[in-house]
Amino acid sequence: MNSYDIAIIGAGPAGMSAAITASQAGARVVVLDDKPRAGGQIYRNVSVSPLTQPEQLGPDYLRGAELVEAFERCSAEKRYGATVWHVGDNGEVLFSQQEQTHSLTARELMVGCGAMERPFPIPGWHLPGVMSAGSAQVMLKSDALVQDNAVFAGSGPLLYLIVAQYLRLGVKVKALVDTTPKSNYLAAMGQGLGLLSQPAMLVKGLGLLNEIRQAGVPVHRFAQNLEVIGDERVSGLRWLNDKGSEQINCEHLFLHQGVIPNLNMTRSLNLKHHWCEQQLCWKPSLDSWGQSSIASISVAGDSSGIVGADGAERMGRLVALNQLARLGRISLDERDQRARGDQEQLASLNRFRRFIDRLYQPIEQHRIPEKAETVVCRCEERNLGQLRTEFERGARGPNELKMMSRCGMGPCQGRQCGHTVSELLASWRGERVDEVGYYRLRSPMRLLNLTELGRFSRVEPATTNTNASADPVSIQEPSQ
Amino acid sequence: MKPEVLIIGGGIQGCSTAYHLAKKGVSVTVLEKDWVSRHASGVNAGGVRLLGRHVAEVPLSKESMLRWHQLDDELDADTGFRSRSLINIAADEADMKTLRDRQQQMHALGHFHEQIIDQQELRERLPQVAEHCVGGVVSEQDGYAIPYQSTNAFRHAAVRLGARFVEGCQVQSLRQVGTSWLVETSQGRFEAGRLLNCAGAWADKISVMIGDNVPMSYSAPMLMITTRMPHFATPVVGAVSRPLSFKQFENGTVLIGGGAKGFADRDNNRTRLDYAKLAAGARNATEFFPIMKTASVNRMWAGLEAYLPDNLPVLGAAINADNAWHAFGFSAHGFQLGPVVGEIMAELITGGDSCFDLSPFRVDRFERKVL
Repeated sequence: MNSYDIAIIGAGPAGMSAAITASQAGARVVVLDDKPRAGGQIYRNVSVSPLTQPEQLGPDYLRGAELVEAFERCSAEKRYGATVWHVGDNGEVLFSQQEQTHSLTARELMVGCGAMERPFPIPGWHLPGVMSAGSAQVMLKSDALVQDNAVFAGSGPLLYLIVAQYLRLGVKVKALVDTTPKSNYLAAMGQGLGLLSQPAMLVKGLGLLNEIRQAGVPVHRFAQNLEVIGDERVSGLRWLNDKGSEQINCEHLFLHQGVIPNLNMTRSLNLKHHWCEQQLCWKPSLDSWGQSSIASISVAGDSSGIVGADGAERMGRLVALNQLARLGRISLDERDQRARGDQEQLASLNRFRRFIDRLYQPIEQHRIPEKAETVVCRCEERNLGQLRTEFERGARGPNELKMMSRCGMGPCQGRQCGHTVSELLASWRGERVDEVGYYRLRSPMRLLNLTELGRFSRVEPATTNTNASADPVSIQEPSQ
Repeated sequence: MKPEVLIIGGGIQGCSTAYHLAKKGVSVTVLEKDWVSRHASGVNAGGVRLLGRHVAEVPLSKESMLRWHQLDDELDADTGFRSRSLINIAADEADMKTLRDRQQQMHALGHFHEQIIDQQELRERLPQVAEHCVGGVVSEQDGYAIPYQSTNAFRHAAVRLGARFVEGCQVQSLRQVGTSWLVETSQGRFEAGRLLNCAGAWADKISVMIGDNVPMSYSAPMLMITTRMPHFATPVVGAVSRPLSFKQFENGTVLIGGGAKGFADRDNNRTRLDYAKLAAGARNATEFFPIMKTASVNRMWAGLEAYLPDNLPVLGAAINADNAWHAFGFSAHGFQLGPVVGEIMAELITGGDSCFDLSPFRVDRFERKVL
């Protein structure tokens, strides 16, 4: 059976740039993405926006159009609507596409599955009417849907960006409740040099907050101890600040406190991971070329740790250069030479990232719930008190806790509760998060229809011309 | 303090034996290389099955079934046990003939718990079953339990009676010196007069350390579970001649098994799945139950399980050493036997006899006879 040289999971900035670089060098590349087109979360639908004035989403969004266009032109085989649900350390990739299960193999894999929003486990966060700010943005970019008069709460550049995007489209925002604590501003100033390394990005960030204030949106700063009010659904938000307790009524609440790597693929590959204190999240352990503990598997973009779209694009190129060298298509010297520019820019971006990470570091009380009734696992509706009971009965690690309580067993495969559980257990055990570990994950990484699983076929690259972008050969397996 | 008995392996057999020993007032320590119920005992399909047992196992399995029906009370815990009956479906007349032959054999041995049902009754019991299925066989007392909870129920009950469990404790070597077994582990030396090998997929290694060679193999039977579905199957379901097995839990999720095996990487505590075989299992499930066509698979996994060539366990005293016993090699159907095996082993270890015929389970049954 014929194998691809490189399979890239995810057509975001990292995957697109890697595919362009690798396919230009003649490698047989396949790119899989579960969305109908390229772009990833950041450049979602940039080529076919349902919005009448997509430029209101900001210049960065439109810059993505250029990258998407270059990617579409490159010779890599693109498979959209392809949901990858298994990646093996042997280079096997299984995915669902058009109600069939397909299997392919590749010598090298690049995981570029991006980021997800950090869970915001406060009392009531599971109530109807509460959503993540990111899902508000998804609705906006995919379906041009918005919620009028919503409250946005939390911290971080993406939160301000989404609020600003709402305002530019003329949607009324009831309030912004900012949880960035005063102490973070001071601590971030300690990273001042990082700040100066990317002045343009700093100006951009300040500009968003100014834009929100000037639009007349009430901004409540230094909020702590957020609690959602409501029984059947959200009716408001309560918080504490210097002056005491405050609250605001709302029917729609969007929460956000930053993004973390989407771990499900790298975890189910059993790659080595470590806890990053700077970003307070798990990251796959990688070398400077994005190569993981399994040499043939590399990770780039926000899946590797939050690097942003620009960083992801550069990392994608570095991964591709390294993989081309591993495949023997370019020399190590060529790899090193061609990598230099991106490496320098990444170093500069990283300095700025340290500043951003420190400034918007989510506070402990919003990451590690304190009240017994706060829901931790939304899929199986397990709250803190229930987990504490099982912990006291001897479930010391995430996997024992999962098997005892069903926390993390639902359809999200622990995406929503994994980080919370790691941090909770670390605090209960009085140990470092690294010592506690994370769920042992298994395929499928997404829900998989049983009929689709039953239709199993193998996919190969076209054999005649390595640069061809012709239709792949598809062989139906004899049914057993 | 030195315990009287050391048990190697914290699966259901080890935990159940520890419980029964502690109940007799015997001091016991369980050494578990990972954590209790980490492998086959925690991740199996949870079938509590008497139906279709090998005739040598039927007496034990019947006795164990009685235990299961009272186990929550006895252990003061929730094992998740539900008595739901188990039906093996006959897809054609050849299957029906297999069932009739089996019934004749069982009746001759005085076992009457398996009843053949016709197509109409099959449909009454399983309204969603596919048209082509012609009948089946049912065992009324059968059901399922939650494996991880059940194994831990034994463990917690044992601990309440004074048993000790040491997790993350891998046996590196063991030897008998005088009247003591000296066990070197990753957590230092343990010592006891008597030793029980319940090491599951690693039991052949322990067996060799004790002095008994055994032709054990290991494999990785695979399972998958769906998201919640509308209730459609009360009984546990199997098939007479197809690799199909599933059960719907009270929360609506459907566990699909059937014995397809993945790849066992015992040295690294890992398994790899064979997705083409899982795909075949998916086709089987939808063929027997068309309602499953819309099911969504949420998780797939495999556990590391030990097999003997005749698919029967090893139960009883070691042959080449005194004061050592074995309980392993259950060949993917040991979970249901856990309650009775613990009782039998505790009896043997404390010098008693078993009221069961254990000769089919001797560790040396595969030794070549002298010509």
